Amino acid sequence: MSSAAHNAYLNTRVAGKATQLFRAGDIERFVQLGLPELGQQFGLGTILEEPGSARVKSRAVEQALMQVLLEELTVLIRPMDPAERGLVVAWARQFALFNLKTLLRGKIRQLDPQEIRENLYDLPPQVRLSTEDLFRVENAVELLRLLESGPLSLLARQAREIYEKRQEAFALEAAIDQRYYADMVRRVARLEDSTAQRQMRMLVGSLVDRANVLWLMRFRFGYQLSPSETFYQLVPSPHLLHRERLLELVGLDDQPKVIAALPEPLRSLLADAGNLMEIQRRLGQHMSRIAWSSLRSGQSGVGRALAYLLLREADLRLVFSLIQGRLLGLPEPYVDLALGLSPAICVHQWREAA
Amino acid sequence: MLTPQPMKHVRILVLREDLPQASLTLADTESFHPDPRQPQEQQLTPLQDCRYQKEFQRARSRLDKIAQVVPVPEPDLSDIRVVGLDELTETNAWLGEAWNFCLEHQEGFRELEEAERLLDEEEAALANFAELHVDLGMLRTKTRFLDFHIGVVPRENIDRLRGALGLAGHLLFTYMERGENAHVVIVGPTGEKASELGSVLTNAGFQAIPLPQGLDDSPEAIRAEQRARRERIERERADLAEEVETCAVDMRERLARAATVLVLAEPFVTLDPAIRSAGHLACIAGWVPAKAVDDLEQRLGKTLPNAFSLESRKPRADERPLVPSVPVKHRLLQPFALLVKQYGTPRYGEIDPTFLFTITFLLMFGTMFGDVGHGAVLALLAWIFRKPLGRFYLYGVLAGLSSVVFGFLFGSVFGYKELLPALWMSPLYDPILMLQLALGWGVFFITLACGLTIFNRFAIKEPMAAVFGAHGVVNLLFYLGLVWGGVSIALTGSFGLIQAGLVIGSLLALAVYNWFHLDAAIGEKILVVLIETLETVLGYISNTLSFLRVAAFSINHVALMIAVLTLAGMMGAVGHVLMVIFGNIFVMVLEGVIVTIQVMRLQYYEGFSRYFSGDGREFSPLRLRRRPRAA
Repeated sequence: MSSAAHNAYLNTRVAGKATQLFRAGDIERFVQLGLPELGQQFGLGTILEEPGSARVKSRAVEQALMQVLLEELTVLIRPMDPAERGLVVAWARQFALFNLKTLLRGKIRQLDPQEIRENLYDLPPQVRLSTEDLFRVENAVELLRLLESGPLSLLARQAREIYEKRQEAFALEAAIDQRYYADMVRRVARLEDSTAQRQMRMLVGSLVDRANVLWLMRFRFGYQLSPSETFYQLVPSPHLLHRERLLELVGLDDQPKVIAALPEPLRSLLADAGNLMEIQRRLGQHMSRIAWSSLRSGQSGVGRALAYLLLREADLRLVFSLIQGRLLGLPEPYVDLALGLSPAICVHQWREAA
Repeated sequence: MLTPQPMKHVRILVLREDLPQASLTLADTESFHPDPRQPQEQQLTPLQDCRYQKEFQRARSRLDKIAQVVPVPEPDLSDIRVVGLDELTETNAWLGEAWNFCLEHQEGFRELEEAERLLDEEEAALANFAELHVDLGMLRTKTRFLDFHIGVVPRENIDRLRGALGLAGHLLFTYMERGENAHVVIVGPTGEKASELGSVLTNAGFQAIPLPQGLDDSPEAIRAEQRARRERIERERADLAEEVETCAVDMRERLARAATVLVLAEPFVTLDPAIRSAGHLACIAGWVPAKAVDDLEQRLGKTLPNAFSLESRKPRADERPLVPSVPVKHRLLQPFALLVKQYGTPRYGEIDPTFLFTITFLLMFGTMFGDVGHGAVLALLAWIFRKPLGRFYLYGVLAGLSSVVFGFLFGSVFGYKELLPALWMSPLYDPILMLQLALGWGVFFITLACGLTIFNRFAIKEPMAAVFGAHGVVNLLFYLGLVWGGVSIALTGSFGLIQAGLVIGSLLALAVYNWFHLDAAIGEKILVVLIETLETVLGYISNTLSFLRVAAFSINHVALMIAVLTLAGMMGAVGHVLMVIFGNIFVMVLEGVIVTIQVMRLQYYEGFSRYFSGDGREFSPLRLRRRPRAA
């Protein structure tokens, strides 16, 4: 298939699938629905009707929604060339990394293997890590030793050295996340089609920018890490927060100063955000706007496909939050908070509001 | 050999305490294929207590991992006995200790590897510094104001590390790159941010290279010191290996016992999904070859201490897709059974195609590769390499012998025609006859395949599909009418009225059947019926013509050998011999591969796609694992 033909095919596929994305007012409408209606609306009726605890049902719903997303991904990556496919699959590898982190946490806390297994996602072969061998290990060091013999060797070696010194999962997970985003940035740089690369720099760059802002706030002001330690955990972005800007930002000593030093549109977006949850909510909405703009007016098929997948993932997460809220019987304000319908406020403020 | 072995569904009711013994007996008979379906009785539920299964899984995983480090002896199955939960737990605990021992030693080996790697890096660094003519003593000792770090960092971390160190007031210089690592010198003010710097360096995977004492010594002295360190590492490695070997000998008996315990415990764990229980009663369901049911009942009677009940019945029609098929066990058919398995397993009730596959495969292979010399070489090579080829060597031997037989018929030995009188004739003497015979073979093969399709469909109680379905009775009538008409044209010049009636009548019957079985709009129905009818006509014609390749390749084989011998004839004595040898090797390799592929294609596409669904389940009985798992 020629480049123009495969772009046309991919664009048609994406345009067809984009009709199922949520539009303005959809979420507000779903909030009014009860659990059975939600189940019916999203084809989850059988899971919700089956006997079982709220936790088991919630887990099954999450797995089913993830399956929907990954099946769509499998269809969309089919006409892509290897570099494009590699980039989109690298994005989807976040789910495999959830599994890896679950496995690591489980082994560090010496949980029962069955309990760990119940918390792993069932993933398609394209994004799956071979967890069966990893599953057989008895502790975190043995797990990392095993990873050292695979494609994550460098990460695993460093992670093991860190773990042997500090015996905690934070540095390990930070290294895994850092490498995940760095890999995507590298893949964007390797794209040959300049249109696709431009669009992907914007899209993937925005993803990386979002992660950088949150990590910067969390590491620098939450965990009180030094500027150099914080900088080492960040990923220079191909969009707004490039290397020099990150060097500048990590040197600032409080949150308002960092927000004031951010480039536009992040500065005005996060002005008066107040807390990290609100920053996260606003960055999520900003990311959605960028993805929508990419989907509507992007020229590259792969760029539009990734934009669609980002939006679809966000929609399915909302569905999951809503159903989980219903299953756990949470009060409406909590559910609205999780859905991003109301600004994130601290618990005591919420109690006052309630 | 063609018909499937009759199976029975068996339901065994035992006391729960007898379950381990029942599992062992079932495994020992090797005739029970577990059926994990939920029984109709709602009171029967899966076993709730999973401790036995958990202990087993853990222990099995540990033993498999240990087997990768030290040899695990074969289990001793002279005494088939029940393994209780206590014994299994104790075995698992011991295997845990044994694995920890292995892990510690593996870690020891890795540390030595790491030390050796660092020594390599150190040597490379010192060699590099030697050319710079700098005082290395200055780099090793901290000064009052400056702090130095010399070491290696993964190359991909350099850029981030440089930025992070810059924020901590330090500078990073890269002076050499080796493989995935970069050698760096880090310089900065002493003391101020030591912990911050340490944290960043750890995160970046920085490994310090210790500069040896006495750097102002002669290069020979430094090299001698490094050599001594390398020798120490080698010595420690040898000591560690010896220690592992000694411990492996000490553990041997205990490992054999553990392997035996796990083999004896495994049937109960494997059977678990097929066990349901209610109170003290447990029910096990499965499939057993009909002829083995009586023996199974007797064996259970002898081994179970308490009463039990065994009910057996024939499989119901709706259960047919679930009933396992017992594979062909004849030694000569084994390699061909593997090729059949690549396509699928016969559904219960269907004819097992292995025997027919073997016969037709050998006939076609021999025809297309008929040469006494080539066949003998193929058979001889397969025999010589029988160990690495495993069961598959028989395939080579039989295919080679088939070539030898056809070589005698064609009178060909390594392409020479004059060495042996042909028992029949060389394919090139009458190519038209060869092509006619190939067509005839194709008609026979397709008719046989359709016949088997019809038999299989009747066998699985689908009479309408047997008559009107693809390759059913009506299709066969159409095909035979078409062939008859074709033969009439060749002999008399006209198709013939009866033949035309047979062809048109069967096509109309197919069209009417398709029309009433299609659920679509009229326009779509017309289109689909027309295309499917046309596809039937074209399909049978092209499929028959496809068999012309059998003749084409047998002619091709002769032609290629004539070309080789002609080229050899144009050369001198040495060139002649070399040409004959290498020409024969070339023909054997090239044609051997192509002919195999072509025969497989005819078998899979023209044969299996007609009569073999391949969606059955293979009979996989509960059995004791007689050999330890491969590492």
